[in-house]
This record gives sequence, C-alpha cells and structure tokens, in this order.
Amino acid sequence: MSHVVEVAPEPAEAANGPAPRREPRPTRTWTLRRHGVRTVLELELRQRVRSARWRVALGAWFVVCGLVTWLTFRASAALVGPDYGGGYVDDGADGFSSTVTVTMHVPRGPLIFGIIVFFVLLAGLLVAPTLSAGTINGDRDAGTLATLQVTLLSPAEIAVGKLLAGWTAAVAFLVVALPFVVVSLAAGGVRVVSLAVTLVLLVVLLGVVCAIGLGFSALLSRTTASALLTYLTVLALTVGTVILFGLTFPLITQTDEVRVHEPTAISDIDCTWTTESSERAHTERTWWLLAVNPFVVVADAAPTTPAAARYGVPDPLQAIRDGVRSARSGPADREDWCGDGTIAEVGNASTAPVWPWGLGVDLVLGAGAVWVTVRRLRIPQGTLPRGTRVA
Amino acid sequence: MSRADASPPAPPMPRPSGTGSPGGAASAGIVAVGVRRGFGAVKAVDSVSLAARPGRVTALVGPNGAGKTTLLLMLAGLLVPDAGTLMVGGHDPVTENAEVRAGTGWMPDTFGTWDSLTAREVLVTVGGAYFLSPPQARARADELLRTVHLDDLAEAPARVLSRGQKQRLGLARALVHDPQVLLLDEPASGLDPRSRVDLRVLLRRLASEGRTVLVSSHVLTELDELADDAVFLSRGRTVRESSLASATGERRTWRLRALDPVVLATWLDETGVPYRSAGGGTGTEPGLSAAPDDGSVHVDLDDDESAAELLRAAVVAGVPLVSVAPASGALEQVYLSLEEERR
Repeated sequence: MSHVVEVAPEPAEAANGPAPRREPRPTRTWTLRRHGVRTVLELELRQRVRSARWRVALGAWFVVCGLVTWLTFRASAALVGPDYGGGYVDDGADGFSSTVTVTMHVPRGPLIFGIIVFFVLLAGLLVAPTLSAGTINGDRDAGTLATLQVTLLSPAEIAVGKLLAGWTAAVAFLVVALPFVVVSLAAGGVRVVSLAVTLVLLVVLLGVVCAIGLGFSALLSRTTASALLTYLTVLALTVGTVILFGLTFPLITQTDEVRVHEPTAISDIDCTWTTESSERAHTERTWWLLAVNPFVVVADAAPTTPAAARYGVPDPLQAIRDGVRSARSGPADREDWCGDGTIAEVGNASTAPVWPWGLGVDLVLGAGAVWVTVRRLRIPQGTLPRGTRVA
Repeated sequence: MSRADASPPAPPMPRPSGTGSPGGAASAGIVAVGVRRGFGAVKAVDSVSLAARPGRVTALVGPNGAGKTTLLLMLAGLLVPDAGTLMVGGHDPVTENAEVRAGTGWMPDTFGTWDSLTAREVLVTVGGAYFLSPPQARARADELLRTVHLDDLAEAPARVLSRGQKQRLGLARALVHDPQVLLLDEPASGLDPRSRVDLRVLLRRLASEGRTVLVSSHVLTELDELADDAVFLSRGRTVRESSLASATGERRTWRLRALDPVVLATWLDETGVPYRSAGGGTGTEPGLSAAPDDGSVHVDLDDDESAAELLRAAVVAGVPLVSVAPASGALEQVYLSLEEERR
C-alpha cells in the first residue's frame, strides 16, 4: 500500500483555498502487538465475567445440555435397544451353577454423538452472535470506544482483542457442554479422534460467527440491527443453503443419455449395456451450497466411524457426509443395475471430503468481517455512520 | 438570529508563531488554521483558527452548538477536518495520527466508562492501552487517583461513582500517559466547588510544567481564574481570540454599592457619569445580575484606571462606598460584548 501524503500547506494558503480532505496515513492500522491485544482482551473479558447474567447463562446451559443428553440416551435406547443385552443364569442339572452372560453389542454412540454435537453447534451458533454483535456499536453508544481509539492501540488490536473476547466466551459454552459430548463416547462406536476433530471445528466455526457479528457491529450503528443481521447470516448459512440447494433442483435437472447395465428382458442373470435417457439432477454444480453449511462442515470432517459400528444404527454425521459427497460427484456416467441388487454407480464417484471448501469459505467470511471492522475503527474518521457520534 | 448578515469581526489571524514558541514555529502547542468540518448539511465547525501556547491555559468559549466538541475531536485525532490545517504538539492529527495520540490527552464531554471495572482498573487498563508495563501502569494509576482525590474510591466500580467523581476519573484517564497537550471538554461540569478549585489548581500546575492546556466550557466564571487566553467560538467560527489580560483592559461594567444609594445616585448625577440600577433590571443587561435590589448601580468604564479614578473622586466627595467591583467576570464581559455586536 503506497500512500501519498500531501505536504501540509502553509497556513496562509490553507486559509484561502480549502485543502482537499487528506487520507489518513494508515501505517499503523494493522499493527498487532501482543500487549495491545491482551489489554483489549482483558478489558472485555473482565466486563463480561463480572456480569451475573453471564454466570446464570452458563449454569442454565449446563442444565439444558444435561437434559438433552439424557433424553438422547433414552430415545436412542428406545430406537435401537440398550447397549448391552441382558444375561441369564443357567442352572445346570449337574449342580454346577454357571452364569453365562450374553452381550449384544449394539453401539448407538454415533447417533448420540451426532445429536449432541449438532445440538451444541446449534446452541453455539445462536449464542455467538449475542456475544459479539454488540461489541463495537455498543461501545460507541456507551462512549467508551473513542477513549480506546485515542490511545496507542491500533485498530487491528482493538478488533482482534474484541474478537478473541467474544470467541473465548463462546468457547466457554462449548467447554461447559464438553462433559456431555464425552459421555456420548461411552455409548461406543465413536473414536476419540472424532471427538477431537469435531471440537476443533466447533471452535473454529464459533470464531467465524463471532467475527461476522463483530463486522456487523462495526458496520451498523444500532446493536439490534447488527444482532439481527448476524442471526440472518447464520440462518442463511445453516438453513438457507439447504433450501437454496433444494430450490435449484429444477435448474440443474436435465435429460441425459446414460449407459445402463441391466438385466435383459429374457433373463435376470444376463445383463447388457444399453443407453437410456433419464432425468438427472446435476448436483455437482450446486454441492458447494451445502459445503458452506456449518453442520455439513462438522459432519463431513468427522472421521468415519469404524465399519463394525455402522450397521443397525443411524449415524447422522455419516448420513450427511455420504449425502454431500455424492451430491458433489453428481450422477454417474454409467449405472450398473445388475448384480447383487445394489445399484452401483460406476465412474466419477468421488469420496473426497468437501469440508475444506466449506470451511475455507466460512473462514474467508470471518476474515472479511475482521477486515471491515479494522477499516471502520481507523481514526481520524472521515465520514461517520448515520446517527452516530464519535464520542 | 441575524448572524449571517451581521458583519463578523475580521477573521482573526493566527498568532504570529514567533511570539509563542521562539524559533520553534509549530513545534509545540496547538495551531489550527481555517479548520472546517461538517456533518452532512450541518456545518459544525465552519472556520476556526486558534493558537494555544505551551505553558498556558487556553479557554475555548462559546454557546452550546458552537463547535467546541467537534473542534476538540479533530484536535484529538478522531475526526478528519474537511479543510484547514491542524498542528497538535508539532504533529498533524491527520497524517501523523499516532504521534498526536501519543502526546495528547483528551477528555470527552460525555463521559462513558467501563461500568464493571473499578476506578483503579480503568486507569490501569488505559495505561496498558498506552503500552505502559503492568507495574508502571499500576503505579501511574495510584498516583493519578491521589491527584484527583479518588484514592478512597479506587476499588469502587465506576458504575457507582457520582457524575463529578466520574469527571475526575475521566481527567485522570486523560493524564495517564503524561501528555504534553491536554484537550478537556467541559471538565468542570458536575464538579462540586471543592473539586472545581482542585481542578483549577491542577490545570494551573500542568500548564506551569510547560504543557498546553485547552479547556472548553460555556460556564464562564469557572474559566476566569483559570485561563490565560481565550478563544471565542460562535456557530463554528472563531469570533475572537484574546488574552485575558487584554480583556481586563477593556471597557466593562462595574458595580458600585454605597451605604446610602441616594447619595451615590445624586453624586453620579452631579458628575455626569451614566449609570443604571443593578438590581431592578432595566432590561438592558441580559442575566447579568440576579441580586436583590440593594441600591447598587452599574457603570460602564473604559478600563481599570478610570475605575480607580472614579473611586478616588467618589471617596473625596464623601460618598459612603461599600464595594466597587467588576459586575461580571472578564470572560463573561467579552462574551456578552460579542453577543451585543451580533445584534
């Protein structure tokens, strides 16, 4: 960035002809010093922690998480049966009493894990905007923003400090919910690495939502407006993408000539390749709509459950993962209807993960929001947002 | 309201830089030339030129809406002027914003604070924001809390402080980084009389240490004993720049009171000095006096010397004078004379 700085005109000249408004030199806008970020972070956290509301919210959250976990265990037990079958005692005729315990292992861990993770993600997505969407414009209303801006803190330090504070608060909610996520491991079928990957992604996604809230709070003068827009953005990412994906189906559906391998009219055993025309939705053009969805990112990134655990229990994460990956592949070039009864799609089927794309887009959104925030925090200010005061 | 066509006093030229800081030109202090700033259609600051010199307290005087706060925001480096040049402590707030911030302490008029923090934590946090080390920031906070007499409230949340106490905390906050230039927006509002005296002493001390102090206010009496110079703003324009010493050398109103008002009035009639009753309110003096009618009279005199002369003559003539004093503060006098010019 090169900036031409006008030499300040002589006073006499300036009095006669008004000099054009000069651009502030933004040399230090992006300065990030550990001390500066920590100062803002400490300030923000101190204010949050001291409010009683905060502790009440965390306590209520803990109770709700416990309730949901308990209900999930009960419901999944009703669905697939308990983890362990009962034993029975066989009194042998020979007088020896032997106890044989038959263990029927039906792991419902993936189901429970999936439900709880999604519940925590949903709650996190709802909580994060409230933690960040009022930070900049709220401070401006309270008259405390300008007093920070006139110090030697750079705009980037203020923005990052505030982002980290909101993020930390959101992660605190995650930490409170952590015991219940761990409990779901006890139901079996979920590997520890799944837990780790999922947690990392939850943390990152909450950070993205906090950043979006921060950006809106810097852009808009009213806290209610920024909170509303942050919620709308979250809604667009979670529900809007799915609806849009569905609505685009007519647009991507076309009649293809497909090579099909199917039984001949004469025999079920003999199969021949024929060319048929069929209507197919080319979701390989719209899969990215699903990929940016935070729920899809989490589901797709979670490692697959061990094959042994896959039968008999629905695994929501697995279902989403398979769905979005096949959407990305789109319909196959050739279809094999012959054989053991399963329809084998031959050709371009891909199982490459989609979450790096989705997460990438989400991260770009978050980074853009931080960028906007820093730009809006620069001083001296040229234009003010409508209806705001500097101090 | 006929401000627009009333011919204003010639736009004051900035003080020749030679008088204030020899050789240093704009190396210190505050210099503003032809500064303008609008918000949409509103011209908050239309044409302001002023100079505030180091070692002196400069009063920024003007009615509500005159542009004082906007001017201070520009000087503090928060707003870009639409036109004109600014120099604060030798730096341009637009192009050298960080340098200006490092050497300038700004106290806003609407004082917001972090409610859940204690007074000490507020100051320590601000110290951190100025990149003082934690021990330095703590030491500085304690020192400033003593300076503004808040040390017994150091651990109280800022939320429970009274308005005056918050003002003092705001002043301390502006001083955390030991700035050479102080921009104080209505620092005395909400202060009790004791705190006002403390504020005056503190600001005088800060100025005597060579700092530039710019104080805005519309309460003129509190500035009278505090300021060395005064800049008068009206509707976004500098209407007058003067030192208070010169203001006292001007024609102003004096208030005379005698044991027997009749004797005083008779003597004034005889000597031909025009006077008017001070208490009754002849209607010509807007709000100058709310005192009960004790027979005092107002007399317009050219300067202090003519006051002394009148006093001597009155005493010689046997008028039983009890008090002779300026009817209002010097600033108020100048301010009101400007108001009159406007009509």
